[in-house]
Amino acid sequence: MANVVEEERFPGHPLLPYALILPSVAVIVVFLVVPFLQSVEQSFFATTAFGTKTLFVGLRNYTRLFAAEDFRASALATLLFSAFVMVIGLSFSLAVAHLLNQKIRGQGFYQVALIWTYALSPAVAGAIWALMFAPATGIVPFVVGKLFGGYLLNWMANGSLALLVVSVAATWKMLGYNIVFFLAGLQNIPEEFVDAARVDGAGPWRTFWDITFPMLSPTTTFLLFVNMIYAFFQVFGLIDIMTHGGPGDATNILIYKLYRDAFLYLDAGTASAESCIVFVVISVAAIIQLHYATRKAIYAR
Amino acid sequence: MKVRQWLLIGLVWTLGACLAPQSVLAAGKVEITWWHAMSGNNGKVVDGIVKDFNAAHPGIELKALYTGNYPETMTKYITAYRAKTAPNLVQAYEVGTQQMLSSGAIVPVYQIPGMVGEKWDWAQYVIPITHYYSTAGNLWSMPFNSSTAMLYYNKDLFAKAGLDPNKPPTTWEELEADGKKLLQTGAVKHVLSFGWPGWVLEQSFATHNQLFANHENGRSGLATKVLFNGAFGNMVLNTWTRLAKEGIFIYGGPEYSANSAFESGQIAMLIQSTSSLKGIEKGSQFKVGTTFLPRFEGYPRGNSVIGGASLWVTKGQSKEQLRAVWAFLKYLAGTNIAVDWHKGTGYFPAVNSAVQALLAEGWFTQDQNYLTAFLQVLSGRRDTAAATGVRMGPFVQIRELERTAIEKSVSGQLSPKAALDEAARKADQLLADFAQMNH
Repeated sequence: MANVVEEERFPGHPLLPYALILPSVAVIVVFLVVPFLQSVEQSFFATTAFGTKTLFVGLRNYTRLFAAEDFRASALATLLFSAFVMVIGLSFSLAVAHLLNQKIRGQGFYQVALIWTYALSPAVAGAIWALMFAPATGIVPFVVGKLFGGYLLNWMANGSLALLVVSVAATWKMLGYNIVFFLAGLQNIPEEFVDAARVDGAGPWRTFWDITFPMLSPTTTFLLFVNMIYAFFQVFGLIDIMTHGGPGDATNILIYKLYRDAFLYLDAGTASAESCIVFVVISVAAIIQLHYATRKAIYAR
Repeated sequence: MKVRQWLLIGLVWTLGACLAPQSVLAAGKVEITWWHAMSGNNGKVVDGIVKDFNAAHPGIELKALYTGNYPETMTKYITAYRAKTAPNLVQAYEVGTQQMLSSGAIVPVYQIPGMVGEKWDWAQYVIPITHYYSTAGNLWSMPFNSSTAMLYYNKDLFAKAGLDPNKPPTTWEELEADGKKLLQTGAVKHVLSFGWPGWVLEQSFATHNQLFANHENGRSGLATKVLFNGAFGNMVLNTWTRLAKEGIFIYGGPEYSANSAFESGQIAMLIQSTSSLKGIEKGSQFKVGTTFLPRFEGYPRGNSVIGGASLWVTKGQSKEQLRAVWAFLKYLAGTNIAVDWHKGTGYFPAVNSAVQALLAEGWFTQDQNYLTAFLQVLSGRRDTAAATGVRMGPFVQIRELERTAIEKSVSGQLSPKAALDEAARKADQLLADFAQMNH
């Protein structure tokens, strides 16, 4: 019976729905599916920059990547970077959103002030942080130099420090976005629940963990996913402006390494193999996250 | 409904009519395109040259387009070439030279006069520059913007440390002694930094006539092995690492990131491209001195290497287009054009007549610093491949490997030898891959 009902949605035009979604499907196929399949194919070949010669190399691009310490270092940097953005970034955003949700004077001002960072483009954010941390002229090395003595030109020549600075910058850039969503989530939690918990004698800490946090889980799940995508793909501009992947490849996260291999070193085969690996990693992570989190998430009203 | 449709059609036609005159105007003119990577001040100078060229050549419409920085321009050129929409002329950076030579996409410039039925005097170009872009004595790309590296120093800080501001160090030994003095007197906390660290390593090899890669620096055949981890390379990196331990050398990052430390007086010496001279003189509040790259004593004399970019002509153009491109390349060799190019950008003029004109008008007596680079490059030897500079297919990557080796060594992460060996192992793999694909 259900089938009959659906067919009658467009009486006399059985093909109309397909015709209507065709443009969207066509765009997806032309701009996403075909290039993706092409890069899967390319990952099994070695090609000269100008395409004068193409050689089938089987899995060589992959085996070399997994054997190369640069690739492993890059993968590790990506993991550390995205873990920082996701864990520290989301925790901090939630804390700030919670504070913003209190009834205080000037609430609107604080909300806008904390959200506007999202309006910046990655390039602008990168430029701000690069200027702040510029080894010879930036305000941060200057203050650190004054506080701890000595002139620290090597601030950005230290790999771990550079990765930390880039991670903080990326987190800061995403703060506004996260806060908006957490704030919306918090405002959707019915006050009766919180009040009921208080009446039952739960302290603010207990109320937060037992009531607020579980009820926020759909928002948290969504933000985890978005932040993962952000940390993997959208920080390119930030890295490009702040460190160029350096020093010594310390901030050469996968998406930046991929760009360099493809567009700087003109090595399409290696870059395609890298993009396939990133695709698999992201897909697996997304599936696990969605599967696990949707089960745990509480969508009840 | 009908009215609206007609309106729409009318609009489309009007738009089409507005666009049409352009192509009508262009008819009767030979249109050629040039993709370049000159932005900012240099881009403005390029635009001026193009404007004047078009005004002087009514039959030609040269369209110059900024297509991003060097790597971006290279990528775009390759993509366009594969889609058969390449520009007639493209600017490619020096590290892309072997890629362009192996591409099969270009006409060597030395063949063009013959193809358009003309003769051309190649001896009018400055020799170390033409040698860099020549293969078997023939010029493959047209020299355009060339620079080299030199030592910049802060005369005020030298005076403050009790050193003679007009006597910069000429050897690494003197540099170390001066550096110690600068540190002891408290004039600075660190003394020396590099721009383009990998390039400075290559410069050290060339100025001491040492081969950087096999097969005559990749000039008698494709390079298959790098030589920078030999005795000479180890000696160089040992010296730099020792200077870093003494606090004299401080790593300042890639490309131009160390410039600000020098300009703000936090370090007293900087090895950087000559193309930074204008910016450094403008950005510094002290007297800037320049001198030749410091030498290691007891090693033979070579020459400093050319950096920058050159112009490549795409293969498969019509005779008219080729003739128009050639007219432009000839135009660039004009004395006045080359003089203005040098004054406007700080790059070398590519023709001898321009160097003479600059000398004659006393340009260098106004600012001796502009002379340093010339004297250095013109006084070096020009008969060996080692002094001319290395040529490698995957040069972009290998230069990054050199930089990483320097970073790891001066920061104490690896010994100089281990850092160089690691870089050489990776570089040899890249060279083998390139040779396999381009034999």
